[in-house]
Amino acid sequence: MSEPREYLRFSLAQRIEHWVQMLSFTLLALTGLPQKFVGHAWAETLIMVLGGIETVRVIHHTAAVVMALACLYHLVVVGYKIFVLRVRWTILPRLSDLRDAIDVVRYNLGLTKARVQFARYSFIEKAEYWAFVWGALLMGVTGFMMWNPIHTTRFLPGELIPAAKAAHGAEAILAVLAIVVWHFYHVHLKTFNKSMFTGKLTREQMEHEHALELERLLAGESEPHPDPHLIKKRERVYIPIAALLSAGMLVTLFLFVTYEQTAITTLPRRATVQVFVPLTPTPILRGTLPTPTLTPPTLKPLPASHAGRTVCNVCHETGAGGVPKNPPDHAGRTDATCTACHKLP
Amino acid sequence: MHLRQSYPHLFLAVITLVLLSASFAYAQGPTAGPPSTTIENHVCLACHSNPTLTLTFLTGEVLSAYIDPAQYNASVHGKVGQRCTTCHADITAYPHPTVQARDSRDYSLQMYTVCKQCHAHVYAQALDSIHSKHLAAGNRNAAVCTDCHTAHYVFNPHQPRARISQTCRMCHSIIYDQYAQSVHGAALLDESNPDVPTCVDCHGVHQIVDARTAAFRLKSPQMCASCHTDAARMRRYNLSTNVLNTYVADFHGTTVALFEKQSPDAPTNVAVCYDCHGIHDIRSTKDPQTGIIKKENLLKVCQQCHPDATLDFPSSWMSHYDASPTRYSIVYYVNLFYTILIPLVIGSMLGFVVLDAARHIKERREKSTPPSESEAQDE
Repeated sequence: MSEPREYLRFSLAQRIEHWVQMLSFTLLALTGLPQKFVGHAWAETLIMVLGGIETVRVIHHTAAVVMALACLYHLVVVGYKIFVLRVRWTILPRLSDLRDAIDVVRYNLGLTKARVQFARYSFIEKAEYWAFVWGALLMGVTGFMMWNPIHTTRFLPGELIPAAKAAHGAEAILAVLAIVVWHFYHVHLKTFNKSMFTGKLTREQMEHEHALELERLLAGESEPHPDPHLIKKRERVYIPIAALLSAGMLVTLFLFVTYEQTAITTLPRRATVQVFVPLTPTPILRGTLPTPTLTPPTLKPLPASHAGRTVCNVCHETGAGGVPKNPPDHAGRTDATCTACHKLP
Repeated sequence: MHLRQSYPHLFLAVITLVLLSASFAYAQGPTAGPPSTTIENHVCLACHSNPTLTLTFLTGEVLSAYIDPAQYNASVHGKVGQRCTTCHADITAYPHPTVQARDSRDYSLQMYTVCKQCHAHVYAQALDSIHSKHLAAGNRNAAVCTDCHTAHYVFNPHQPRARISQTCRMCHSIIYDQYAQSVHGAALLDESNPDVPTCVDCHGVHQIVDARTAAFRLKSPQMCASCHTDAARMRRYNLSTNVLNTYVADFHGTTVALFEKQSPDAPTNVAVCYDCHGIHDIRSTKDPQTGIIKKENLLKVCQQCHPDATLDFPSSWMSHYDASPTRYSIVYYVNLFYTILIPLVIGSMLGFVVLDAARHIKERREKSTPPSESEAQDE
């Protein structure tokens, strides 16, 4: 049997799963980080470009649901592999992983010449996988709390809501930085690992990164294939249980999304006070001087004989013939104005 | 460019003129001289100092035509010797031309535009106000210049300061009563406190905006913050200046701040300062009866928008505090945990990656040159 040049690492289903996770993760980071960093110009520009804060929240929530569904699917598949196919659980962390990590550092420092050989999953990949498991759990729980604060505070102290927000944001930074530093370095920078596109690794890559796995494959060891009857028997147990559990998880997820109408959906509340209520009688705003008492000057009525007369000043300006002379402050007043004050009886 | 080089002094003069006229336009005082008139005030007062003098309108409404000479002479216009006929320019002799107004309101609405001839700048500002909009829409009750400043006895409108709010009270008496009970109003009216806002500090002076718009709502936190982040002023009352930061850091404030910047006219029902603290009836949060420092009182406030909220829901809002070991300690320790964890994890990863990359680059280089003996053994 000739040795193949390439080895299948990820099935198509696994690759699709990775792409879905990658897309939802990117969307979550893209819509989540600017929310955490509101106040910074880059964050606010990003929010504006994405269509405003409300749209950003909708995208974030949608991407979260997609990721949750992908995680749910992953659980069902892993369950099938473990309980029905009974494959080796190669991603389980072991003590040897810690040893491997130390040995890699020692090798890189030149303290040892022995290059560490990895099985199907190296400690590098295991760390990433379990970090994701932890992150998804934490983000899911804290996300639920923020999404449904009213119901959360029925059972838990209210302070946990801002605590959840703090953890959600900090964990997001940790996750994004880990992806950038750890994941990008190992599969994009150091070597460009195409297995998530093609599903395959070259023989050379296998030698370098999964020497033990290659050894196993070359030795003709493959996953145990229990006989179809046994699988059928196990499926009869697993499928109903898995269906029940996933139905339960789907219902939970549905509740997660629709459980709570957090706030009223009406438009802004307004003051319902009557605006125009004039004071009656309207006070006349004056200065600080006391308002004089409104008593009219006591003027003697004109003699009845003056009825019909239209000229006044002819006599009164000079006091001719002994008639009352105009007081000094009346200077310049014309005949037409006199009767405003001086009235007939 | 050519002009500037040939006539530098002319250019300077033009700039100076432009700047000067601009600064005049923005000054509060009158911007143009009154039209010249020759009739002395004592001529008018000869009759109009008679308290019984009245004017009867077509509707039968009687308006006093009396002018208190002492009051007028003490007013801002009297002090500078403004003549009656500056405003009553149509009156040049006796008998006066017939007043065409149906009633006294009609007369005010006809007359107030004369303010424009000296106070064009504020007059123009007032044209943008909610009062002018209502007036234009046919509401005769909407305030014009003389409703606030009076026609004849114009005094400094903010001397004493409480006079401002009392002016607004003439039409907005219910709101005034609410304000008078509030922390701000009580301090203004009882102690003449110069730190508290009067009506115009929030609503504007001549450009009084409609306070019911989405834009006003979105801007309102900044409005409150203009005083509540002023350290000197807040220190006098032992109030925190961290109120805006903590608001913006939380869900409500984040949303409102973004809305204000990105869609200032979009309606939002997310809480702003006055939804929790009150609009005109702002009480102290420490008020023994109504103070929202009490969880039960705050819950009622929360329930206005979150009707299903229960007693522990209010503590999900950190009450304008920053998390500390004594207040919101869970939040504080979560933050502390990540402050340690993130650099630790990412730092270790970086350390590992840098070492690995260095080795990787070194090996590549060695591969391109003839392999040494040790390298050959390794493979």
